[in-house]
Amino acid sequence: MGNTVIPFGPQHPVLPEPLHLKLVMEDEVIVEAIPAIGYVHRGLEKLTEVKEFTQNVFIVERICGICSMMHAQAYCQGVETLMNLQIPDRAKYLRVIWAELHRLHSHLLWLGLLADAFGFESLFMQVWRNREKVMDIMEETAGGRVIISVNAIGGTRRDMSPEALRKVAVIVDEIKEDMMQLEKVFMADYTVKHRLVGVGVLDSAIAYELGAVGPMARASGIKQDFRTTGYAAYGELDFEPIVETDGDSYARTMVRLREVYQSVDLIKQAIEKIPDGEISVPVKGMPNGEVISRVEQPRGEVLYYLKANGTKNLDRLRIRTPTFANIPTLLKMLPGSQLADVPVLILTIDPCISCTER
Amino acid sequence: MIENAFDISKELLHIEVQDSKINGYRFVTATCVDLGNGTFDVLYHFDKDLELKNYRVNVKKEDELPSISNIYFSALLVENEMKELFGLNVTNIAIDYGGHMLLSDEELNSPMAKQQIVIEQRKGDK
Repeated sequence: MGNTVIPFGPQHPVLPEPLHLKLVMEDEVIVEAIPAIGYVHRGLEKLTEVKEFTQNVFIVERICGICSMMHAQAYCQGVETLMNLQIPDRAKYLRVIWAELHRLHSHLLWLGLLADAFGFESLFMQVWRNREKVMDIMEETAGGRVIISVNAIGGTRRDMSPEALRKVAVIVDEIKEDMMQLEKVFMADYTVKHRLVGVGVLDSAIAYELGAVGPMARASGIKQDFRTTGYAAYGELDFEPIVETDGDSYARTMVRLREVYQSVDLIKQAIEKIPDGEISVPVKGMPNGEVISRVEQPRGEVLYYLKANGTKNLDRLRIRTPTFANIPTLLKMLPGSQLADVPVLILTIDPCISCTER
Repeated sequence: MIENAFDISKELLHIEVQDSKINGYRFVTATCVDLGNGTFDVLYHFDKDLELKNYRVNVKKEDELPSISNIYFSALLVENEMKELFGLNVTNIAIDYGGHMLLSDEELNSPMAKQQIVIEQRKGDK
């Protein structure tokens, strides 16, 4: 009997966004997987060529809801480099706090979706209950729950009062305590481990060769986290990349779970060390030249290439998002896997299709 | 200018990319820039220990550019993207979507390229 081709997606209960895979099957085993994207392509890179460089901050924020703040951060850092702007230290710390809040809610969202993917609905509910606390902090400190729009070229648009910072520290501690309870389920529950341990193993050499980034790379033993380069205020905070070595779905879950605690720790460190002062500097003139700006998003490193010509419009803005880098790993992980594991495997790369297509 | 950027000819592309792989670089992505003078700048970005190395290849719009997906498999997505959005003629991609990874039949070809390609397409449609 010949191979069967099963279409997976673009509409599927496990997929929050449309990704289509053609799965070539031999019985229940996948022989080949071919992705098809293009369902949510919006041409945002082209749009940035006709909008002014200051307006582009609002466009890049809309590439993705989950990491919108870090898209704006990467863009602003790039323009600031081109214009030789030194932003105030307080703005650097504020960017770290909001960025880590974004990482926190992104990882909590993912952990909930994973629980949902293997049918553990009450675990999904408990994780997302904690995520709501982060969304409430965003609303209270920035006015928006998803697109918080705090970055501006030259610093940040908003400040946080000492009371707000103290409250954030208390809430993230509560989240950590709650997650330490739920961690036991993720780490030790028989059914959870059965769906994750040894599933979709990606060894270190292949992950590196395929250009994997973020938790995908770190779960395969690659100690690579762009925050260690010290951009924004990360250079003044104490942390180490979270690394696991097994390279399976369980390791990827553990990395994201431990990064929840790491983000809580980084937020608290930043709150302790944040200096007083201005939150932005005036922007004069137009950007000129080429620059590459990189930031560690929840899904991994994002790369922004900017080419400016001394006018208010950019010549080119190119964005390589982490999911774009992680899709090739999926194409290597799926062959040889069982059809029943496909939802979990797709989820373990934490796909963001809006980011991928822009 | 970006740091660590080297201008190379398309004939040297495979040699340099192979050399990067042997020396432990991972492929990050490629960027296509339409210079508006009938040529594209294609930048290939590689990373080792979080330091970038960039190769810049200047190609005429009508020229072919060999795919590097036989060296770095992960280049296939961005090469298909450049092929569709800019009309860059990348040849021998590991999985070639034939211009339909992102675009449907009804859409104009090369929507990211500067004006002249779009106008030619519109004339062709009529």
